[in-house]
Amino acid sequence: MKRAETLLVSVLLAVSALGATAQGAFALTGDVWSNSDSFSSRCLGFTDTYPQQLYTLATSQMALLGYKPIAGALGSSFTRSAFLKNVFYDYAVYAHTHGDNYWAASGWPNVDSAILQDPGPARCSNFSLDAIRSSAIKAATLGTPYNLVIMSTCSLGSSSSTMPDAFQIQKTKASTQRKFYLGYATETYDSSALRFERAFWSYLNGAPNHVRTLSQAFTYAVSIGGYAAPDSANPFQPNWWGSPTYNGTPG
Amino acid sequence: MNKMSAAISTSAIKSFLATVTVVSCLAMSAGQLTAASSTNGGSGPAVGEAARAAQPLVTETILNADDSSEVFARASAARAALGFPPGSKSAGRHVHDGLQNSDYDEVTEVDAAGQTIAMAQFDAAGRLLAALRFDSPSGSAPAVTGDAAAKTAQRGLAASGVAVSGQARVDLNPTAGGWDVHWERSQDGFAVRGDETRVHVWQDGRIQSVARVEHPLAAAPTRRLGQADAQQAVIRQVDKWFAGKDHGYAVGGLDLEWVGPNAGFDSSKVGTAPAPYRLAWVANVKPSGSASTYVRLITLYVDAGDGTVIGGDIVE
Repeated sequence: MKRAETLLVSVLLAVSALGATAQGAFALTGDVWSNSDSFSSRCLGFTDTYPQQLYTLATSQMALLGYKPIAGALGSSFTRSAFLKNVFYDYAVYAHTHGDNYWAASGWPNVDSAILQDPGPARCSNFSLDAIRSSAIKAATLGTPYNLVIMSTCSLGSSSSTMPDAFQIQKTKASTQRKFYLGYATETYDSSALRFERAFWSYLNGAPNHVRTLSQAFTYAVSIGGYAAPDSANPFQPNWWGSPTYNGTPG
Repeated sequence: MNKMSAAISTSAIKSFLATVTVVSCLAMSAGQLTAASSTNGGSGPAVGEAARAAQPLVTETILNADDSSEVFARASAARAALGFPPGSKSAGRHVHDGLQNSDYDEVTEVDAAGQTIAMAQFDAAGRLLAALRFDSPSGSAPAVTGDAAAKTAQRGLAASGVAVSGQARVDLNPTAGGWDVHWERSQDGFAVRGDETRVHVWQDGRIQSVARVEHPLAAAPTRRLGQADAQQAVIRQVDKWFAGKDHGYAVGGLDLEWVGPNAGFDSSKVGTAPAPYRLAWVANVKPSGSASTYVRLITLYVDAGDGTVIGGDIVE
């Protein structure tokens, strides 16, 4: 009996101490990931500057919301393993890369959305090597909640996207929980994503004390117009799910 | 769930599960505890500081109704013309928006609970840039047709002093509901890329937002590159980019448009002030081969005067 009590006290002490360690170490982390090697001179013959511009914007603006530290990576450190290892501890996640709604391993009609990791300095993107599936992300989250998820990619804001569910965000615009998912429903020009995200962050962080909500910032950014689109089948169409009253601060 | 309980929920769940994970690691190996703590989150690449320092800011100057009565009067007239709800008070500010590279006066309508319910923005000349309401459409009203939405949009613009001409394009908005009514801007018969007057009409027939986007234009070139020469310029450029790679490509439409020179393919131009729009041949290049796995479309802007690439766009 005494041995059992000693064991129990030891476990409780360990849990308590490690809980504090975990909170301190993981803080209110926001991860910002951007794939730049796929869009480098080595892979395309020119350097696409949008991944850098969107990365810089997201890191600065997520920090203004209070996420700290801002981790993640621009370029080769944006790997599947780093993404999946970190995601459990994140409160906010931003990714700018190629994204789409792919068939699941079980086949049509099941969808398992994915983003591509940065392929690194030695090769260019390859779906089978680089895909980070929403199912893998969901498994890595262990069901934990997320405050803010932005998929700055094509297609992951469409109704068929399984990416919101990977972060436990339901496809409703009436959530009462502090969660918000933003994505683009169609194929989207990078310049339009940059214009939209600049307006979104500008409105959200443009007033003191976080008095504005993410849904207001979304409404403003959509409403200002001026977005080029690749073709009539792909009008510029950002989308969101989550809480209409949440201001985006962590916790 | 209120804010506090939700906050507890998010932090508590993450903390609890983090603790369980760490304890599991401890049970297996004390050495793994160190690895888990340092690898996850805490030691992620320290990449944000430089980016934060480099970002331009949004700054504001409060406008009061006595000193800036004309701004408040414009906002009040626009609100009435568009049928937006009046607030219990109005608040004005002048905004220098470093993120969007713009300066504007903004008036917001605030309800009794302190919530912003509508706003309007005006440029330095007092012209309407954007006006929108933040509440929600009626769910019970019958949905209006696209034609009715276009007529409502036209009436709202006329009442608020925004001139449009030509045929509107009316698109169903599947994500927000309702209709987007656009008047695209053109100059000398050529579209100005992205410039438009846009009205979003809710499915209940009320206007939700109005925006006017209009960039300054440079003078048209005195001698204009022909389409065949422009096509050759595009082919030369893409052949150079794709040399030695296993990418193929097809050049799609090639149209004259006014475009904003940009830093899309030229990192030396990132952060520079926007230049006036120039007349350019706009070419859509669709990659094939391995590049098509991760790049759907490359759009090039070829200056219609000198044939140089002055920017472009990409669909990743």
